[in-house]
Order: sequence, then C-alpha cells, then structure tokens
Amino acid sequence: MGLYALTLWAVVTVVFLLPRLLPGSPLESLNDPSSGNFIYDPVIRAKLAAYYGFNRPLISQYVSYLWALLHGNLGWSISQNTPVTRLIARRLPWTLLLMGSALALSSTIGFLAGVTAAWHRGGARDRFLIGSLSMARSIPEYAMASLLLVCFAVLLPVLPLGGAYTPFAQYSSPLGAIADVGRHLILPLAALTVGLAGNHFLLVRNTVVVTLGEDYMLLARAKGVPRRALKYHHASRNAMLPFLTSVGIQTGFAVGGAIFVETVFSYPGMGTLMNAAVTARDYPLLQGSFLVLAVVVLVVNLAVELAYSRMDPRVAR
Amino acid sequence: MTLVTTTARLGPSVARPGARGRAAGLVGIAIVAVFVVIAILGRDLVPYRATALSGPALQAPSGAHLLGTNGLGQDVASQLILGTRISLLVALLAGAGTVLLGGVVGVAAGWLGGWAEAGLMRFTDLVMVLPKLPLLLLVGALTGGSAVTLSLLIAVTFWPMTARILRSQVLSLRSRTHIRAAAGFGAGSWHQLRRHVLPDLGLILVAELIPAAGRAIALQAGLAFLGVGSPTQPSWGGMMRDALNYQYVFETSAWTWWLLPPVIAIVALVIGITLVGTAAEIRLVPSLTRHTR
Repeated sequence: MGLYALTLWAVVTVVFLLPRLLPGSPLESLNDPSSGNFIYDPVIRAKLAAYYGFNRPLISQYVSYLWALLHGNLGWSISQNTPVTRLIARRLPWTLLLMGSALALSSTIGFLAGVTAAWHRGGARDRFLIGSLSMARSIPEYAMASLLLVCFAVLLPVLPLGGAYTPFAQYSSPLGAIADVGRHLILPLAALTVGLAGNHFLLVRNTVVVTLGEDYMLLARAKGVPRRALKYHHASRNAMLPFLTSVGIQTGFAVGGAIFVETVFSYPGMGTLMNAAVTARDYPLLQGSFLVLAVVVLVVNLAVELAYSRMDPRVAR
Repeated sequence: MTLVTTTARLGPSVARPGARGRAAGLVGIAIVAVFVVIAILGRDLVPYRATALSGPALQAPSGAHLLGTNGLGQDVASQLILGTRISLLVALLAGAGTVLLGGVVGVAAGWLGGWAEAGLMRFTDLVMVLPKLPLLLLVGALTGGSAVTLSLLIAVTFWPMTARILRSQVLSLRSRTHIRAAAGFGAGSWHQLRRHVLPDLGLILVAELIPAAGRAIALQAGLAFLGVGSPTQPSWGGMMRDALNYQYVFETSAWTWWLLPPVIAIVALVIGITLVGTAAEIRLVPSLTRHTR
C-alpha cells in the first residue's frame, strides 16, 4: 500500500518536473514566437500560463499543480482547445474495454495452453506451443495489428478497417449496437491478445512443469485421482500465484500494446488520443494521458496484490 | 509489491540443445546478419536519397523503383534500406544501455545486501510498474527523440528486468563454495566481486543483451510509428505511419509495396533476434533453464 502511494507521488512529481527541467525547455518554446511550437491563439496561451504558472517560482507551481490535480483538473489541451479531463473521460472507456477483454482472453488462453504444454512436456504438442507462442509474443503489436488488418479487412474484407462502431448507424435494438461494437473489437482484440497470451503461457508452463515433479503429484496419481482433477486442480493451483502477479505486470504491457493497436485501427481510445497529442506536441494532453494510464496500472497492481495476500496466507501479515 | 520474478523465460525441454535448437539459432544468425550487412552497406546500396522525390507518387514496383514509390513519390526500397541503420543503431545503444544500467543496479543490490538492496529493489519495482510506452511518448515528444536520446530513454525505462535477473544471479553466486573459499583466504569484498563474481556474470549479460536489443528495435519502430522521432530520418515505423495515414492506401494496392515491406522487415528482424536469443540463452546460461528440467 505504502509503495503504491509512493509510486503515485513519484509519477505525479515526474510529470510535473519533466517538461520544466528537460533541456531545450519544451514549455518555454510554447511561449516563444520564434519556435515551431509557438501557440498563436492568445486565449489558449493565457489558459496555459494560468495552468503552468510560467513565471512563478517552481515550488509555487508545484503547489498549484497538486491543487489542480486534487480538483480533477489536468490542464487545457492545446490542440483541441478543451479540458484534458473531458477528452480523457471520452476516450478511456474504449481503452479499458479493449485492454480488459484482451487481459481476460489472454489470461485464459495462456493458462490453458500453459497447463496443456506442461502436461505433455517435451512432446510434440509442447514444442509446437512453445515455438509458435514465443514467436508470436516477439512480434510487436503494431506489426501484428497491421498484418491482421491486411488479412481480414483488406484481402478478405469480412471485418471493418477501423473505428469502434459504425458512424451514424441507427440500431434497431441495443443488441444490434453490441454486435456492432463487438465486430469492431475483434481485430484489435486479437492483435493485442496474441502477445500477452504468449507471456502468460511461458510462465504457467514453467511453473506447472516444476509442480508436476513434486511428491504430492505422485501420491495423488497413486491414489487414483482422475486425470482432469490432477491436471487442473493439483498441478495448476500452484501456478495461480505467479500467474496472478503476472496479470498485474501484463497490465503495463497491455497499456503499451493498446496504444499501438488503437493507432493502427483508429480505435477511439487513449492510444489514438496520445498519438494525436504527440503529433501536435500537445504537452498538457500527453501529461494528463500518461498520469491517467499510470493510475490505471497502479490500481490493477494494487488489486492484484490484495488478491494475492488473500490467496496466499504466507504473504498476509 | 511482491518480489516474485515473473519475467517469462523459456523453460525446460526447449533447453535441450538438440539439432533443432541449433538450426533455429543458425537461421536467426543468418537473418540478423543480412540486416547488419544491409545496414553497413546502406548508403552504397540505395538508388535514391530517402527524402528525394524520385518519381511519380504511388508507382508499382518496377526496375527503377524496386519497391515502388510512396504517396509523395519517394523510393520505398531506399527508405527501407536506410531505415535498417537506425533500427540497428538503437538496438545496439539501447540494448547496451539497458544491460549496463540493470547490471549495475542488480549487482550492487545483490552484493551489498541489507538496506542498500532493499532500497534498490524497491526502486526497481517502482520503475517496473510504470506504463513504459506512455512515459516514452511523453518524454520523446518533449525531447524531440533523436536516435541517441531514444536509446537513452529506452535504457532508463527498461533496466529493471535485467536488474532483477542479475541480482538473483549474484545472490546465488555469493553462496557458492569457491567464493566462500576466497573469502576464507582473506580476499576482500571488492576482490571477490571483481575476480570471482563479475567474470561469471559476463555470459548472462550477453544473454540479456540480445532480447534487450530486440525490444529496443520494436520500441524504436513503434515510437516512430506514433510520431516520436526525426521526421527527416527514414525509419520503418515512420514508413508504416505514413502508409497508414495515407487515406487511400487500401483503395489501391499501394499497401502491398508501401505498408507491407516495413512490417515484414520488423517482424523478420525481431524474430531473427528472438531465435538467436533463445539459442544463446540455452548455450551461454544453462543454469537459467536447467533447474526446471
């Protein structure tokens, strides 16, 4: 708990310090008419000056930055002339949908494949799963997404090229809307899931292989425990704890992957928002997006840790 | 935060250094070697300057333009070849930086022990949970993102995994008999570290360097794809970005010679490095894979 509070404080402070202390003073370039980043609109410039407090001492800037954060104020987007909070509020749900379903799907696939491979360790099935999944996880998400896009939306045009729903569509029922959103989710979800599943798979497989050699497995087998129970109950249970930790770590990777995949499919989430912000050098929007995504990752990790100490009495103190 | 190491490694049974594994390693080396040669000869191989408008826009591949031209009329093959250079440069710099930083932190934590170890590993955990890509996007946009800056940023964000592995390795080395014997003969702490521990870590550092380099290539291309990087420096990620941002790329067949080549180049190089890395890990550091067999 303490470490999470510390991490959150560190993230908030880093976000504050980075644009102010980096060489080339990126913030000042926004106010410098001779630089390429100069903001011509005096109204936006005034809003930015109010938020960043350019000419005040650093400590006073820090206090007012923290004060604004406490009030849910993440600043003003330069490129879209809108509060950053409002932009993020519109985009975050799509990213959470994509990431959440990818984490759930990849965990399931990775777990089942891992147990299967460990059970048949050394065999053809094991070698095939290891080979294909470790290749798949080394392919970057944007490359995987581009290949899927080309295969299933261009060559074989069965799925939409991009977006999260059909624009201006009139749905006859809520079910139609869900089906439409689902259809648009398939390819981004697949692109994001493959790599994550590969990570889970290797971890689960290696953990289960170790447990299979334990004495209690031999005993269970000797007393006639059925195969299914042996596989999914006795052997897999020990893989649950490292697996759970890995779900927390994967969340960090999933955020990165989602940013790439969204950009390929023009999916209206945080990834496309950040991509637009990078292109426009919209620093307040970038800062706010990073902060929000960091909080998402921290919350998931905290939840994982709480679940962990529930499941493993050795950790609970 | 729990200190369970969850870096997914290739385990057991892949660890049989059989003929199959050796062949895969050789294929990997061949793939990487081709890219290295292309990168070194790059400037002599390219028919056009990467930014030169060398023909009409969106021309299909022909004798004059082996991979056709992009939406601006630039030669795709030239951009692809010159993009190899920046990919490999970042791989080298960022890979070395990651291993160096992670190595220093990991060895220091493992060897010093006590509160220094606790503090360093806490810090490692802290950096580890941060979402790295959003952070790189923010800092990359703020700094402009030249190849050297990007390499440094990648190293500064990605060292924790190496640090954890190095720390656990130092911990296990510390308790081995030859080091205890050296201590018994009166060897000082620094002497033990320099003469008995560090030499044993060399191979692990090499085994760590390879995946770190692969990750750096994927990241550099990814960051360029998202718009971080020099717009005049041709890169694979930048080519993908241009192609996907071009509105009619899928209306014509332009994607086959504009989008696919950089995607295939990245996938091939990253897979090549993975193959080399797996083979190297099995050969150089059997202890990492052996214990679970």
